[in-house]
Amino acid sequence: MEVIIYICLALLLSFCILAAMSQSLLKSAIFLAFASATLGVILFVLGAPWAAVIEVSACSGLVTVIFISAISLSRIKKEEVQKLYADKKQMKYLPYILIIAGIVIIVAALAGSVALPGTAVESTEDFREVFWNSRQADILGQIVSILIGGIAVYVLMRESKD
Amino acid sequence: MDQNMNFQTVMLIVGFLMIIAGCYCMIRTYHILKIFIGVEIAMKAVTMFLVLAGYVNGRAGLSQAYVITAIVLEVVVAVVFAGVTIHLYKKYGNMDIRNLTQLKG
Amino acid sequence: MNYLNYAAAVFLLIPIAAIAINNICPKPYMKKNFHTLTGTVAVFQIAAAAYALCAMNANGLTAYDFSILSNLKITGSALFRLTPVSLIFLLCIGMVAFVSVAVASKTVESMRISYVNLLMTMLIGMNGMVLVKDLFTLYVFLDVVGISSFVLISLFRSTKALEGSVKYLVISEFATIFILTALAFIFMQTGSLAYQDIGGVLEGADGSQKNLIYLSIALLIAGFSIKAGAVPFHSWLPDAHQSADTAVSILLSGIVIKIAGVYGLFMVVSLFPGVRAVQIALAAIGVASILTGALLALRQTHFKRIVAYSSVSQIGYILLGLSCGTTVGLIGAVAHVFSHAAFKTTLFSNAAALHEQVGTLDIDKMGGLQSRMPVTSLSSVVAFLSTAGIPPFAGFWSKLLIIIALWTSGSAVLGGVALIASIFTCAYLLRLQKKVFFGETPEHLKNVTEVKGGIKFVEIALTVITSATGILFPLVLIYLQSRGLI
Repeated sequence: MEVIIYICLALLLSFCILAAMSQSLLKSAIFLAFASATLGVILFVLGAPWAAVIEVSACSGLVTVIFISAISLSRIKKEEVQKLYADKKQMKYLPYILIIAGIVIIVAALAGSVALPGTAVESTEDFREVFWNSRQADILGQIVSILIGGIAVYVLMRESKD
Repeated sequence: MDQNMNFQTVMLIVGFLMIIAGCYCMIRTYHILKIFIGVEIAMKAVTMFLVLAGYVNGRAGLSQAYVITAIVLEVVVAVVFAGVTIHLYKKYGNMDIRNLTQLKG
Repeated sequence: MNYLNYAAAVFLLIPIAAIAINNICPKPYMKKNFHTLTGTVAVFQIAAAAYALCAMNANGLTAYDFSILSNLKITGSALFRLTPVSLIFLLCIGMVAFVSVAVASKTVESMRISYVNLLMTMLIGMNGMVLVKDLFTLYVFLDVVGISSFVLISLFRSTKALEGSVKYLVISEFATIFILTALAFIFMQTGSLAYQDIGGVLEGADGSQKNLIYLSIALLIAGFSIKAGAVPFHSWLPDAHQSADTAVSILLSGIVIKIAGVYGLFMVVSLFPGVRAVQIALAAIGVASILTGALLALRQTHFKRIVAYSSVSQIGYILLGLSCGTTVGLIGAVAHVFSHAAFKTTLFSNAAALHEQVGTLDIDKMGGLQSRMPVTSLSSVVAFLSTAGIPPFAGFWSKLLIIIALWTSGSAVLGGVALIASIFTCAYLLRLQKKVFFGETPEHLKNVTEVKGGIKFVEIALTVITSATGILFPLVLIYLQSRGLI
């Protein structure tokens, strides 16, 4: 099991870095979708199947669709993209920053001896019971936020009358 | 140093690196939609932390409830952000963040 | 006891009912009477909060648990809790919502139905934040408040409003990331995020786990400071508050930054008491906010921008009050939340009145309006005196409590800084008053008349509230002393 987790962590980190550094926004969105799929595998191995399903369907599916529709509603010619945004200059420091940060964090973790218990505790509860019975305030919050999302789409996307 | 690098610690380190990558992407990009890609990268790290916490202390059901709620809220923010961005595109013609200079001081 | 249950259910159920009524009734009718519906909701909230305060006081309760769906037979399922502090916050929410509706009846011309829907969802979010017993649910309602404020700022889709909304959104996402990471780490240590389970986490952890807890406390403070608009995360606040419609600015500056930011920091301080680093961090952020807000307000020429920087400065005072760690500091901070809500909404109502009658908010183009708009100028002067902390207005007592708390808890230097910063507060507000209301009247403003209707009523009402709270405050102090809190 640990081998799968290590491989998936490496894939996840590389997809995220590629998504951040990529020049074209479409490629960034596709890399993000792949990263979501990899994260779904990690979540499933860690014993959270419901979270894995919603992660793959919502983040990998829904958010990518929202992105690609926003990108296609704002179509701009390819040459202008390269001239205008010049993200390459900004983003090319990202791998170096990450390597330095990684070394700092590993040193800090070993020095501060931040340790997590190595063995997993078996989980005894069912997600559905917890969610529907004791997280009802969260459900109210989610319903209200989905309502706001609907109102936002109406407010922001309606045809202007003038 | 007698601490072994079990996969939980590696997960913590990878998670921190992802958050740093996401925040860096949010700060340094010039394209408005790429800001949200940075937010998404950091949210993946947070999801991983939450499920790892559930794995470590045995309350996987509660951690999945947290993760699902966080994902729903994140999708709504994505919708609102895309809407506002498309409007800014209609006003300016491109999605450059350097256009937003009207409020100064 | 039953009436308390009904009063408690008001806070979350009446906004939902208002959304339903708003969307079901025929549109032309709702467009004309939207302020009646929302005004009724706000009045209900003020009445329920006042009644619940009296009822809890009479019965000697300190906390009252309730839940919305009463057919749950599971023990410990009460999801919401009323405490006196949360009732004071609920009272402030109701008051600011009422003022915002009164101003909106004049300034919001189109999209009224969407405005009412969004205002109701923001009310649900804010009420939910102060009522819950769980840290993760606090974050959920915080996000609800955030999303509804993004949409409210960009409701009229002007270029400046969209820009302010984008800046607010991006910086708010940083806050989300920090708070969620902190919640994940705290969840790793304890088994749940309910308030009663987090209480003992610092004692029960050993050395290496304590580092993670300290990191998560730091992230929580950073996240909530971003939402409160404290320095160094204040850059979104002037842009968002200036570019939004004035009715929305009243809501944002009057109550949202306090519920979203200050209440979160209040929960952090009460969940992890006695951590010296937290107090030092809050004091540092507070002092920096006071000075930066006051100094930056001196250079501005847009009325609403000056008032927005003034908000940054006053949030610094509230954070200084929270950083003392004593009960007097907490009481001073909560009192300052109330008096800041009163005088800040007065100032923004004046901005709305000026925009309605004069047409511009550039203070270089105004002058000598005191004889033309007497009510506006009187309420503006009262708000200025209350902000600067001059007796007998409400601001004087709350600032006095904060400075006393700073003196008695050992940081006399900070008390001195807070006192000296009042001079800066006087300076920028005096400049504002002088340029707008006193002096020569320019030619094109000779025919300006006083604003009528809802805005005038609200200005008068707020002036009365500020003065009455100031004059009657000693009674409150005597009452608190009789309960042994001071």
